[in-house]
Amino acid sequence: MLIGENLRKSYGNVEALRGVSLEVRPGEVVGLVGENGAGKSTLMRLLAGTQRPTGGRILRDGQPVTLASPRDANALGIAMVFQEQSLIPNLSVAENLFLGQDRGFVRSGLIDRRAMREAALRHLAKVGLDVNPGRRAGELSFAQRQMVELAKALALEDRVERDLVILLDEPTSVLEQAEIDLLFARVRALRSRASFIFVSHRLDEVLAISDRVYVMRDGAMVAEAQASEMTPTELHRMMVGRGVRTEYYLESRQAPPREEVALSVRGLGKRKAFQDVSFDLHQGEVLGLAGVIGSGREDLIRILFGFERPDAGRMDIGGRVYAPRSPAEAVARGLGFVPSERRTEGLVMTLPLGANITLARIRAAMAPWGLSRRRERALAREWIDRLAIRAPSPDTPCRHLSGGNQQKVVLAKWRTAGSRLLILDHPTRGIDVGAKEEVFRLVRDLSDEGVAILLVADTLEETIGLSHRMLVMRDGVVSAELPAPAGGKPDQVRVVEHMV
Amino acid sequence: MIALPAPGPRLRAVLPLLVLLGLIVALAVAVPNLASPATLLLLLADTATLFVLAAGLSFVIVLGSIDLGVPATASLAGVVTALLLPGWGTWAFPAALGMGLLMGTVTGLVHVGLRVPSFIASLAAGGVTGGLTLWLSDAQAVTIGQQDRARLDWVAGETVGLPHIVGVAMAALLLGWGLQRLTPFGRFSLAIGASEAATTASGVRVGRHKVLAFALAGLFAALAGIMLAARLTSGSPTGASQLLLPAIAAVIVGGTAITGGTGGVVPTAVGALTVSVARLGMTFLGVDAFAQQILFGVILVSAVAITTDRASVVATK
Repeated sequence: MLIGENLRKSYGNVEALRGVSLEVRPGEVVGLVGENGAGKSTLMRLLAGTQRPTGGRILRDGQPVTLASPRDANALGIAMVFQEQSLIPNLSVAENLFLGQDRGFVRSGLIDRRAMREAALRHLAKVGLDVNPGRRAGELSFAQRQMVELAKALALEDRVERDLVILLDEPTSVLEQAEIDLLFARVRALRSRASFIFVSHRLDEVLAISDRVYVMRDGAMVAEAQASEMTPTELHRMMVGRGVRTEYYLESRQAPPREEVALSVRGLGKRKAFQDVSFDLHQGEVLGLAGVIGSGREDLIRILFGFERPDAGRMDIGGRVYAPRSPAEAVARGLGFVPSERRTEGLVMTLPLGANITLARIRAAMAPWGLSRRRERALAREWIDRLAIRAPSPDTPCRHLSGGNQQKVVLAKWRTAGSRLLILDHPTRGIDVGAKEEVFRLVRDLSDEGVAILLVADTLEETIGLSHRMLVMRDGVVSAELPAPAGGKPDQVRVVEHMV
Repeated sequence: MIALPAPGPRLRAVLPLLVLLGLIVALAVAVPNLASPATLLLLLADTATLFVLAAGLSFVIVLGSIDLGVPATASLAGVVTALLLPGWGTWAFPAALGMGLLMGTVTGLVHVGLRVPSFIASLAAGGVTGGLTLWLSDAQAVTIGQQDRARLDWVAGETVGLPHIVGVAMAALLLGWGLQRLTPFGRFSLAIGASEAATTASGVRVGRHKVLAFALAGLFAALAGIMLAARLTSGSPTGASQLLLPAIAAVIVGGTAITGGTGGVVPTAVGALTVSVARLGMTFLGVDAFAQQILFGVILVSAVAITTDRASVVATK
């Protein structure tokens, strides 16, 4: 059906896939699991034609094929159901179903709406969805939209002469249990006409729906197994790897946090995101937030930094109420934010390194007569030395730096601003192994200086390795608080139990 | 998409200056006797008003926004000056400048506060301002009487052959350069234009800096309006409306990208001179005034195409 052979993909000098092979057989549901950053999404993008591999090849029914665009993939009967909902909310269900394929309904230059409606009803019936095709997609529930996406993928049947391969990227992350059951029932029923690749973080689900499972780690395929012979625990062990690498995370440098509370949170809540979150974050402490996508941890950190306002609860910093209405107010109270979207939110990529370092505290570069580029350069040089940033000069635009060095510039910005509490959102995303270790060392340095750190990491291993303590979130509530002292780190499997 | 040549960053920085020098040389060769100190001064004097208007506009374009209301603000300031000079004397100037500041601030507040795209907010503000100006002036040009013309000397006069208007433009240039180069506002403007999300996430109060940029655009537009009225010795309710296209062209030809994040008043000075030299050249070559507008349109589109790093533009709206 569909075979990927030795697929490789690099972004700059970061290897996302290092020679991955997989096979999908007719009528089969194949599970694909791995931690964040293991390369699952990259692999899916190659198969869906949204990105092209830098090495290896893709075979469809035994023939090597080039997938230069989603259109190419569609023509070969391969379709992706996107993780982010990709329907256009102000178009009707029918229009969404046939977006880009409306040529089949054109009669003398106009779209034959009745024919389109009938075709839409037929496709919606296949997924068991009973909605009016004329309704706007934005009016449907998440689950219904997910079904429409699935129907859209299955609509390829009409145009392609072979069995379909449908890629499902985290289809359950926004669904309720009953909706998940319904989706799974549909997937099972459709196996006679299509094969599926199913990507999910929820291991029990993967095992429930799949015939075979592939496990990825660090851009490589590390295992393949029959789903019936696996348990979630075994699967997880394969995902994270067996060796527990304590020194990788510099556990020996993990000193106990101080007594002073840097941030106290009580009963914090945000509708449709999380409720009743309480914790104290101490100076010099690394507090790890664990949880799957949709657990509420992303919303929590954005509220802490003032992007949005909570509906309930209160926060205090240094004994005074902390209720930020904007990131500017958060920064004024000593917070700093290292965002996961480094290229869009972390740095102004076209501005020089020096200008980025002073962006959160321009006063550091002000002379009596105004902004002094000389002072700014001197400050930038100081940070280039202290953090071993590899950059030709303080005037280098940040987009010319590697991911790891960019991340150091972001950290230099917050240290220039004198931040006493840093929110690190996936601080090692998209940077290579060497640079990761440097970031870990910087986290320990910050901790030694008494800076409080709230960490949302790429992998559970990283969260456990770096944290003093962990808050585990599930469905918007804190499901567990686990101490993670040096030498007494909790077992990953135990943490996962609280996550799903 | 047409593959226009994409100049490298270093060339892109000096390209506008090369274009200006090239035009001047070409004109000097084509029309001998033109390149004299007297012509040069005349050229500078003729450019001054356009430059001040464009300099104000550049504060906004650096943000990646646009202010289409600046010509209307300039006309308003000209009319207000002409109306108030008889009664208020010299106080007419601060009053006109204050009006400009107010109009700019309101435009900025609408854009930022109501999250209305800047081109809509400023188009609407320009409409309101234009209507207000017509109402104030009774839809007629307001002549500045003989007795008040002495008060216009700081703009319209000369000292040892040097037109004061050039000095006014120089002062505006210096002020604009200082604001952009020496203040946090200038730095934040560049950052907002290059990446609003990253600037917000760095704790910069993006909204108030945007409003400030629009306020400055209004203030500079009002100054340009006063300069225009002083040269014509009357305030025309639509006097500056022809200046929108040349002003945007001046900013873009100078090298400020329409998407923001680069440029400033100094490049805009180069751009304004380029526009002026081009216009002068066309006049000498006998190009019709209407055809000149066509050419400005063409120049504007080419300049945007060349100054924008289109590889990084995901979608144009």
